[in-house]
Amino acid sequence: MADQLYLENIDEFVTDQNKIVTYKWLSYTLGVHVNQAKQMLYDYVERKRKENSGAQLHVTYLVSGSLIQNGHSCHKVAVVREDKLEAVKSKLAVTASIHVYSIQKAMLKDSGPLFNTDYDILKSNLQNCSKFSAIQCAAAVPRAPAESSSSEKFEQSDLQVSSETQANNELTTNGHSPPTSKQILQQPKGIMGMFASKAASKTQEANKETKTEAKEVSSAGNKAPGKGNVMNNFFGKAAMNKLKVNLDSEQAVKEEKIVEQPPVSVTEPKLAAPTGLKKPSKKAEPVKMQQKEKKRGKRMELSDDETKETESMKKKRRRIKLPESDSSEDEVIPDSPGDYEAESPSPPPPASPPPEPVPKTEPEPPSVKSSNGEKRKRKRVLKSKTFVDEEGCIGFLPRWWCRGWQFDCQVLEILGGQS
Amino acid sequence: MFSEQAAQRAHTLLSPPSASNATFARVPVSMYTNSSQPFRLGERSFSRQYAHIYATRLIQMRPFLVSRAKQHWGAGVQIKKLCELQPGEKCCVVGTLFKAMPLQPSILREISEEHNLLPQPPRSKYIHPDDELVLEDELQRIKLEGTIDVCKLVTGTVLAVLGSVRDTGKFLVEDHCFAELAPQEPAPCLDTDRFVLLVSGLGLGGGGGESLLGTQLLVDVVTGQLGDEGEQCSAAHVSRVILAGNLLSHNTQSRDSINKAKYLTKKTQAASVEAVKMLDEILLQLSASVPVDVMPGEFDPTNYTLPQQPLHPCMFPLATAYSTLQLVTNPYQATIDGVRFLGTSGQNVSDIFRYSSMEDHLEILEWTLRIRHISPTAPDTLGCYPFYKTDPFIFPECPHVYFCGNTPSFGSKIFRGPEDQRVLLVAVPDFSSTQTACLVNLRSLACQPISFSGFGAEEEDLGGLGLDP
Repeated sequence: MADQLYLENIDEFVTDQNKIVTYKWLSYTLGVHVNQAKQMLYDYVERKRKENSGAQLHVTYLVSGSLIQNGHSCHKVAVVREDKLEAVKSKLAVTASIHVYSIQKAMLKDSGPLFNTDYDILKSNLQNCSKFSAIQCAAAVPRAPAESSSSEKFEQSDLQVSSETQANNELTTNGHSPPTSKQILQQPKGIMGMFASKAASKTQEANKETKTEAKEVSSAGNKAPGKGNVMNNFFGKAAMNKLKVNLDSEQAVKEEKIVEQPPVSVTEPKLAAPTGLKKPSKKAEPVKMQQKEKKRGKRMELSDDETKETESMKKKRRRIKLPESDSSEDEVIPDSPGDYEAESPSPPPPASPPPEPVPKTEPEPPSVKSSNGEKRKRKRVLKSKTFVDEEGCIGFLPRWWCRGWQFDCQVLEILGGQS
Repeated sequence: MFSEQAAQRAHTLLSPPSASNATFARVPVSMYTNSSQPFRLGERSFSRQYAHIYATRLIQMRPFLVSRAKQHWGAGVQIKKLCELQPGEKCCVVGTLFKAMPLQPSILREISEEHNLLPQPPRSKYIHPDDELVLEDELQRIKLEGTIDVCKLVTGTVLAVLGSVRDTGKFLVEDHCFAELAPQEPAPCLDTDRFVLLVSGLGLGGGGGESLLGTQLLVDVVTGQLGDEGEQCSAAHVSRVILAGNLLSHNTQSRDSINKAKYLTKKTQAASVEAVKMLDEILLQLSASVPVDVMPGEFDPTNYTLPQQPLHPCMFPLATAYSTLQLVTNPYQATIDGVRFLGTSGQNVSDIFRYSSMEDHLEILEWTLRIRHISPTAPDTLGCYPFYKTDPFIFPECPHVYFCGNTPSFGSKIFRGPEDQRVLLVAVPDFSSTQTACLVNLRSLACQPISFSGFGAEEEDLGGLGLDP
């Protein structure tokens, strides 16, 4: 029955798992009032001792009371071992409370492990630390969200200065702006994603000096909402704006991702030189140069200071899978322009006519076509593409362009079935 | 007292689980006002000299001293300025004290090349039998001798001396008096017991594990997790917790990284970062349950000069979510449930301790109350902001509870003033070494120490609890 359940639980914790079961630990684990946890512990000790007097159980008690010391009455609160309990009780003039503090299998030499147990369970329950307490305070209300959100930002930015968060938030205001926290949950796609979004990044991003910009611009393109807009991008300036907005909105990537980007981006600069991009990319070019340099600089710093973080970031990145990414997409960093060329978007032949109307508005019509025509084979679908155009410049292609075969149909549809 | 009230309820916890468990509501905040506005600094400008603070101190204190002198030595006593003194004439002079101490660390002496001195090692007291007292007023200064306790007094005290000028040019003192206590509002009558918990010197980041359990026990008692129902009920009557400074340990202030080569310190983090995170968690637990006022101390990350400004809320992302957390200045002045509190984190008292023969921190606390100035040694030996309009450390009125933090041991006393003022003086001990905090009962204006302990391998009997016979 439910009554006996807790006895079995405690038995399991103490005997099988060899844990130190403090009243606080039990209270959080079983979700009961602290006083009930103390009573449960006492009950367990009594029963266990009754049925098996040789049980290997060591108990610590909490004793509190008053004592006359140096002329004044001093209130003492002490955690004592069972063997000292009576001695301490006898010294106190008035005993205010006695209860079981903890039960464990082994005898404790000092009270250090008790603190550790309590600290660990508290750490995992910080947000509702007074839920099972005997005192509830009506005045302890969290501050209004407007005030608390600023503190949230502080929490989230481990690595980056909050100013970057500010910048991000500024960008998000004019577009689709998922709440900061949600954005932070979305992981950046990868380097390729970075390239993809860079293609569509505007000067606006160039103006922002923060690292965040560079990373998020790139990663934003990988996000699902961004995808649709990237396609629009090729259809007009308005679409470009929208894309930019979407990219901006997705810029609130976790700051950690920003750090992770630089080392990855190191290889990118040589591939990602946006020189190949035309018109819209002209603006983007200075952006990208800036970003490239920024990234290079950042990389230098990072290697010195934050390599550890970067590595952990890298690890995080590798595990990231965007929802819309299909299995053929991966985050392999191409290590030479040749690879890019090989993997450059090569829509199947049926799709090559469709790109024609597209190139009108597309940033890089001729180069795209040429690269499309050149390379047919494509095993892997990359998030973002770089390609080599006629002049030998490496340019970017948005992600959707790099999608695999399955995308071609979509492209065809969107282009009004011009296949 | 806390213990007696706690013991009134039956012990229920050494029994099988009961059907329901009592939950107590924290006593609501009935009245609280923070009166620390004089200690808040807005725009700070350090281009001024410190002479102005002494000038304004003397100007503000003069009327109090004149009235006290008249009370002590009769209304007919002549009160003169130093420039008006006639040799041999008995009169009273009001001025600021200066104590010339040969052992006082002097930066000029240290860097002077002709002396070729090595920096003096820090001492616990810098007093010396050869110390001399000099009285200064607005225009002149004069050496003092006579019935005046040179060892006890410190620089910056404003007092009135009765005596006459000798032919040697020194002033022979027959008697002296201080400004004594300021007027006091009557204390309110409360119908229920309400407690304020005073803690100082948590000393986080200090590396000592023993005090961590004590800190956790303290938090558990206040938040109502520890103890029997009676104790929890009493703890629910704690209406406020004041953390009086030194939340971080002085170990967190180590400046080794400045002297080491950059490549050795690149990946290291300042010790205070970890300590502040721990402090944030403790403050979160506390503020989820009780209003907390956090005062900075000597080793805390805020400005060094008095008055210390509040710690920045960005350091406590978890705890600032609660409106019960208040970050306040040092010194701190507030009215809690009608009872006026005034206190510091202890820098003023420990500085006077260094330059005076007084040994007991509680005695020094009482003495600062009597001279009507929180920190007379500022700015001479204690860093202080160069005020020029007013000296905010002069008591405008007498508090009901006057405390100072980070003393070596607990001390508490009721002090009675000449106009029936009644002040509870509390010397809050350093928690990291004594594991003791103070519970002030607002109804009876009494203070009870509350101490915490765990058990250790090397303890025999109850030495750790202080329960030795």
